[in-house]
Amino acid sequence: MSQSSLKNRSPFQPLDRAEVAEMMQSRFGIPPATFEGVSFYRKGRNVWAFSLPEIPDLWCESVGLRFMSVRGRVWKPTTYALQLFGHLATKNAVDLGPDQAEKFIAGGRQSLEAELEDGYVVVSYRGGVLGCGLYSRGELVSQLPKERRIMKDGIENCLSGGDS
Amino acid sequence: MDSLERYRGIVPEFERLIESIVRPLPVTVRINTLKTDRDRLLFRLREAKVPYLPFSWYDLGLELEVEKPGNLIENLMGHVHVQEEISMVSPVVLDPKPEERVLDLCAAPGSKTTQIAQMMENRGLLAANDPANTRVASLRSNCERAGAVNVVVTRYDGRRFPSQKFDRVLVDAPCTGQGMARKDLSVLDRWSLKRSLGLQRLQRALLKRATELAKPGGVVVYSTCTFAPEENEAVVSWVTDQVRQVRLEKVSIPSLESCPGLVEWDGSLFGHEMEKCARYYPHQNDTGGFFVAKLIKE
Repeated sequence: MSQSSLKNRSPFQPLDRAEVAEMMQSRFGIPPATFEGVSFYRKGRNVWAFSLPEIPDLWCESVGLRFMSVRGRVWKPTTYALQLFGHLATKNAVDLGPDQAEKFIAGGRQSLEAELEDGYVVVSYRGGVLGCGLYSRGELVSQLPKERRIMKDGIENCLSGGDS
Repeated sequence: MDSLERYRGIVPEFERLIESIVRPLPVTVRINTLKTDRDRLLFRLREAKVPYLPFSWYDLGLELEVEKPGNLIENLMGHVHVQEEISMVSPVVLDPKPEERVLDLCAAPGSKTTQIAQMMENRGLLAANDPANTRVASLRSNCERAGAVNVVVTRYDGRRFPSQKFDRVLVDAPCTGQGMARKDLSVLDRWSLKRSLGLQRLQRALLKRATELAKPGGVVVYSTCTFAPEENEAVVSWVTDQVRQVRLEKVSIPSLESCPGLVEWDGSLFGHEMEKCARYYPHQNDTGGFFVAKLIKE
């Protein structure tokens, strides 16, 4: 197989950066310039963020970071994308207190009064982004991947101190 | 333990090595500068009352006084990566720069990969290769948690990685893992000369391929976590004989105690050049055991 045919057969299709950046700006207020050094590709339902404008001539299992998933007109940012860029959000972002953070990292749902629009939100604790949450009718549901969750027994020393 | 007896003549203060090998390793993490910086991370740890001790030789490495570092919220956030201290040496020796093309030929589970990605400041290209389907899952997961956007994961047999040119190549080779005994003592019982010699064929082929993939002036780093000279100096000296256009450069990290590579072993002469390699024994820095060589392509 020649290298050019390898590239043509790549399952990762380039996306317009401005289009993806606009989605992050309208939902979270993240400045589009944030993504100037990033290229976006789509494979199936996933959008990937990658450092280079061209995919290398290699058969790639993954290209950079899973950035969001798209289902019809609904898109959902990944926890990993928000952990990397979510600190730049100026809206639809919330910083939790210790008890709330404990529930969130265990993967739970909780009622929460906050100035948030319904939909996906950036969830932080003491200024560090925990990941993606889904906010709807005064309730916050953790979207942390199962393998990243930490149950109550495990977090005794990790949430102590601070401003609690 | 018996399988360590063969190193009595080459390890300084051999009895201290034997004493250290039964002690568990300290809990150590690397600060992930793709998501935070050292000051902010140390501030968080102090606020959370997690005692820490910075490494003497690497300012992004910390020893933590916690039982389960995996349960730290900073680990969930990807602000730290749990990684054995001595394994942070290979990327430091490789010294990758932003915008370069770098290959990590035996990458899973990705501790060194993510360290390289942060040294490259998430720019350029880092190809992280591992042939094993099962290990690729952990590699991908670690890269995502680190927030690495400059990594592509590939699954080639490293001996036949496609012809492309890289500024730097890391070969952190599969090995008998004697240096990991403090994590799992049974590696010592599983060791045999036959296993070392079997791996040696693979290690030689991987390192040879790596030298072919490096650009002129490029850097190739070879590392293992075993003491066996059959998998270390015997691999490096074979490749420097086979491939004329490479030379060794001395490995030396300030504030990290090491021994030079071996000139000879068990009747085989490797030559004085091998003294440029570095051997790290567990009792020298209270770490695991490690071997590192740095080759420059002419």
